[in-house]
Amino acid sequence: MERTTHLSPYTSHHQTTTKHHPYSDSGGTETCPDDDKWASKLLRECAQAISDKDSGKINHLLWMLNELSSPYGDCDQKLAYYFLQALFCKATESGQRCYKTLVSVADKSHCFDSARKLILKFQEVSPWTTFGHVASNGAILEAFDGETNLHIIDISNTLCTQWPTLLEALATRTDETPSLKLTVVVTAAMVRSVMKEITQRMEKFARLMGVPFTFNVINGSNKPLGKFTKEELGVQDDEAIAVNCIGALRRVEVEERGDVIRLFRSLNPRVVTIVEEEADFTSSRSDFVKCFDECLRYYTLYFEMLDESFTPTSNERLMLERECSRSIVRVLSCDDKHNIGYGDCERREKGNQWCERLNELFSHVGFSDDVVDDVKALLKRYRTGWSLAIDQTDPNSNSNSGSGILLAWKDEPVVWASSWKP
Amino acid sequence: MIDKLVTEENITSNGFSNTNNLPPASSFPPPIKKKRNLPGTPGMYHTSNSYPEAEVIALSPKTLMATNRFMCEICGKGFQRDQNLQLHRRGHNLPWKLKQRTSKEVRKRVYVCPEKSCVHNHPSRALGDLTGIKKHFCRKHGEKKWKCAKCSKCYAVQSDWKAHSKTCGTREYKCDCGTIFSRRDSFITHRAFCDALAEETARVTAASHFNNVTPSGSVGNINYHFVGPPVLAGPTMAHHFSNSSSIFKPILTNPENHLDPTQQDGLSLWTSSNNNSNGNVNNNELRDLHQLGHQNHPSHSEYQPNWGVFGVKNTSDHDPNVSAPPSLLSTLNNLPQTHASASMSATALLQKAAQMGSTSSATTNHTSFLGSFGVNSSNNYNITTDTVATHVQDENKFCGLYGTSPMMNSYRGSELENDFSSLDEMYPPSKRRHIHVEEHHGGQTRDFLGVGIQPISHPRIRFDHV
Repeated sequence: MERTTHLSPYTSHHQTTTKHHPYSDSGGTETCPDDDKWASKLLRECAQAISDKDSGKINHLLWMLNELSSPYGDCDQKLAYYFLQALFCKATESGQRCYKTLVSVADKSHCFDSARKLILKFQEVSPWTTFGHVASNGAILEAFDGETNLHIIDISNTLCTQWPTLLEALATRTDETPSLKLTVVVTAAMVRSVMKEITQRMEKFARLMGVPFTFNVINGSNKPLGKFTKEELGVQDDEAIAVNCIGALRRVEVEERGDVIRLFRSLNPRVVTIVEEEADFTSSRSDFVKCFDECLRYYTLYFEMLDESFTPTSNERLMLERECSRSIVRVLSCDDKHNIGYGDCERREKGNQWCERLNELFSHVGFSDDVVDDVKALLKRYRTGWSLAIDQTDPNSNSNSGSGILLAWKDEPVVWASSWKP
Repeated sequence: MIDKLVTEENITSNGFSNTNNLPPASSFPPPIKKKRNLPGTPGMYHTSNSYPEAEVIALSPKTLMATNRFMCEICGKGFQRDQNLQLHRRGHNLPWKLKQRTSKEVRKRVYVCPEKSCVHNHPSRALGDLTGIKKHFCRKHGEKKWKCAKCSKCYAVQSDWKAHSKTCGTREYKCDCGTIFSRRDSFITHRAFCDALAEETARVTAASHFNNVTPSGSVGNINYHFVGPPVLAGPTMAHHFSNSSSIFKPILTNPENHLDPTQQDGLSLWTSSNNNSNGNVNNNELRDLHQLGHQNHPSHSEYQPNWGVFGVKNTSDHDPNVSAPPSLLSTLNNLPQTHASASMSATALLQKAAQMGSTSSATTNHTSFLGSFGVNSSNNYNITTDTVATHVQDENKFCGLYGTSPMMNSYRGSELENDFSSLDEMYPPSKRRHIHVEEHHGGQTRDFLGVGIQPISHPRIRFDHV
């Protein structure tokens, strides 16, 4: 289908990894003009200084960044602010404490209403999350075709916003509505606290749709995800299983990711759908500057995307940015060994990296043409800037035998979605 | 035309990717299905009957779809239409004799569908119009080559696709909370989490809507195109169902009573209505629910709002009632689904209701009540002697969930039928509820059936104070 186009006005480059200026025609960017990218310069210098342990320079740069940054300013100022926080923690080795504080602050101001409002608004203005949902739902529905006893293991923190459309599709697609059991494994603390409300809403909605529905929530933060058993997940032999993993693999500690994939395999699912954000914070774990660069690149994209998708005074955007700050602190200044909690890792990997892991036990299933069309139709409903790319790891193959599809923002791949079968 | 589309889309949905393959037999309408005429072409489906001497033409798929069926015998040029061919023949300056068509009268021709398993394959169901049979063949047995760019819905006939594209995306979806969506997927997601979900409006067309819903073969291709008034907020089956679910709401909570939803009243409402449970079996379950709500109306008008809630929902989120149910329901859902501890006869319930004084708040009781309601276990309710969900039509799914839902069907009052139309007003401002509170001394919540009356404290219950 679509390949990453090089004719688009958004890009004049081919490399994507080290870029933090994804589009060179600054005419289109009101908030972050090219010639003003002081933040990334300073930030990188500071990261380098920290890596070099040049304390004089560190202090100087931290001071400068502190003066110039603001969480309420433009993109640069915001990036400066949030990355400054992480750099400071790194320099003072207070990452863990800072992270815990950030988390507890967020927790206190968090409730079902605000969480719901946040995620729904985000989904309204940006396909960042809905992209993965549509692709996954499509793959799941196709894999479940003809089955009557469905069981989806949902390992995600998207507050179940993926499932209403799936329920609706189940209800209307055939005369024989199958029964659905949904087991949600929740790792993020903030999501856990609202799961009661979510449970209630989902069950009600399923009743509405006329889909026989069972809903279970499993606390995924007590132990490593890979240590869960089939029984704990409630998997039964007569069920058709699908594993839906949205933004969850990255939360597993790097060393344990293999375990998780083995767990998936042991459930013998019809389909495994994986959606992850396209960034690599893992392979550069030991190299602070490299990791920092990648972090900066990715979050610059994200912040710019948020900036252009939301209104300038949006509170939701502010909250999303704050969420990022926790991730940034976590990745850059928290030592993984500290084990702050299960399910908090945030070290992303890129699609091809996940593929390597998954290829051991699974084989990739391309999204069908219909699903791809659905995704394209979805993207059309949003503002311009979004496009679909097929994973380029195998450029010789025809459209869908690549290893997934990518959502691209201004031609930069940002979210990767794929589906697998044993 | 739209109607016809509906039917045929229904049938072809399973085989949308088929290319002249047999669609599964089950997808065809049984021959008994009543014959419908194409609007504008009366008698088409009865062509064979109207023209008993009609010549039945059975064209092969190839010929049928061929674009040049009419060939000029002189130069061999092909034309799509006979008229065009005749026009062309004139140019050949034929001698008068040959100018004429074949001498015999042009017999009425009727065409059968080349698809053997198709109902129209039989001469008695032949179609009189060549274009018609072409389109039919395409739609039902053809490959869907035309795809809507906006919603990915596929069509085999180009004109169908064009017609759809014109209206696709222009439809608006309105949630009960007042928000309007142009995108169906965001509407559905919003709906699932909307507070207004707790109080569904009953639309009369809800049931009928669901009957018309087109099963779609592909993901996300469900097209509400065929649904009637655009005001229908989403799957009206949703309304349908939520009406039933909202039955619980009034019983469980009356926010204005601040934690003492007068369960007693609720119960007595139920039980008193028990006696009138031999109301007319309504075909429209929605109506039942309405009346169910209304049933309570005369005796406890204060409850009307609650009941009426699922009659009509025009209040928006700011209505204090709205916030209550979710929290209550959440507690309910948390508790294990236990059956109501007693299966009581109607008389026993009545007696109990009469005895009920002020009792404790009964959130647990709610649960137990709900628990029994929750999944397939409404058999504890021997409240109604007569009705079971017999009239539930394709609310079979609903039934499947709730087993027999005697509650629903039993309370059919006729009193408030007229109120059905004026549900707006039925949702009174809060002051009515206040009145209610005073009247009933704020009786504590109790188990709806009067069983298991235990004191319960549920810290999670939040009621918005009116």
